[in-house]
Amino acid sequence: MRYLVTLQVNRTSYPVELEVGRTLLSVLRGELGLTGSKEGCDDSECGACMVLIDGRPVNSCSYLALQAAGRQITTVEGLASGTKLHPLQQAFLEHGAVQCGFCTPGMLISATALLAANPDPTEDEIRAGLSGNLCRCTGYVGIVAAVRSAAAELANAD
Amino acid sequence: MPGSLAFYHPTTLEDAIGLLGEHGDEAKVVAGATALTILMRQRLVAPSALVSLGSIPGLDRIEEVDGSLRIGAMVRHRDVELSQIVRARIPVLAETFGKVANVRVRNAATVGGVLAESDYASDPPAVFVALDAEVEVRGPNGERTIPARDFFVAFYETALEPDEIVTGIVVPVPAAGSGTSYHKFVTRSSEDRPCVGVAALVRLAPDGSAADLRVAVGAAAETPQRFPDYEALGRGHVLSDDIVGRVADAYAGAIDTLDDMRGSAWYRTEMVRVWVRRAIESARDAAASGPAAH
Repeated sequence: MRYLVTLQVNRTSYPVELEVGRTLLSVLRGELGLTGSKEGCDDSECGACMVLIDGRPVNSCSYLALQAAGRQITTVEGLASGTKLHPLQQAFLEHGAVQCGFCTPGMLISATALLAANPDPTEDEIRAGLSGNLCRCTGYVGIVAAVRSAAAELANAD
Repeated sequence: MPGSLAFYHPTTLEDAIGLLGEHGDEAKVVAGATALTILMRQRLVAPSALVSLGSIPGLDRIEEVDGSLRIGAMVRHRDVELSQIVRARIPVLAETFGKVANVRVRNAATVGGVLAESDYASDPPAVFVALDAEVEVRGPNGERTIPARDFFVAFYETALEPDEIVTGIVVPVPAAGSGTSYHKFVTRSSEDRPCVGVAALVRLAPDGSAADLRVAVGAAAETPQRFPDYEALGRGHVLSDDIVGRVADAYAGAIDTLDDMRGSAWYRTEMVRVWVRRAIESARDAAASGPAAH
């Protein structure tokens, strides 16, 4: 059976008709064409599919699209303002926190949630905040440095 | 996923229960869906109807009632972890929910879901069993409560009837002088499910002996394992190394441990011996360090 729902993604409304069992990730990438969120493990382990739902990070691979109706969804595509990168994205570039890039959308969403809750995290808090976002290339050093630098940038901007 | 799958989002419990009655075993309840989506993807379950509880008001509250905390079925793991009242009254519960999986799962996974799923390797069930919690259940004939220790029946099997829904769980606040602990032992990654998880409660009498001792072992067998006869080995005694060791040996001998990728049966038995001891010691030390260490 198919159901018509409206998903609110990055402050835009998307009416979509969906089969019940579809995950939010598959709808974001398929119907909506928002391919920033990645399918890594498809088993809630790796964090590549992470999005914010009402500001809280969840795995979109194990969240039904129909569950998300009426909620505010933020994907990595929602971080930048036009062509201006979000300070976290800019910091990831400057610190070489991206290698293959597959984990990056999840890392950015995770870091966004972390800094929203804790604007001035210590290195340990950053590591704890990003735990569960698996990167198999960079070894995390650049990622942690990027989050620290973005936190400082955002604090100065306030 | 089958094309005939129907999705319902009733706005009352009565309607939800009616839908479960209509569809029987073919229906699955959607709470956080963190487990359900994976089970469906792996073709381990193939329901014909999904009944979402997301539109039913009142299931997401945590409140203190008559010396117990009542936690609604739709309260998310992360909310238990961060709840001020849970942290103040039953800190071991907040700690345990904070040890489940990762924050992304905890933001979606619910208390009712972890109960109804009855996955042997979830963390909270052992703690609920150790704390003598009672599961609140609603069905066509009204409400009933099921002690947590009777609720978990087997692998992915509970005492719920097909048309019953978990509405919450009532957890008694441990009496003054109690200390509690939950030790999660993982063998692979820090965010893995436990190989063995042990929950303990110790209440000390003024003379320093154990007025109460409770131990529940999770993830080692199909359901959380608790043995009043072996808890009794420690009750009334000062919890010396010798007494604690005896309780730990008794638990290790009594549990028919299972084999999975997190540990062999033999290894689990030895880890039960180690972690039952450590959990009792932690609870004992917490009890001894005063009322703040509830």
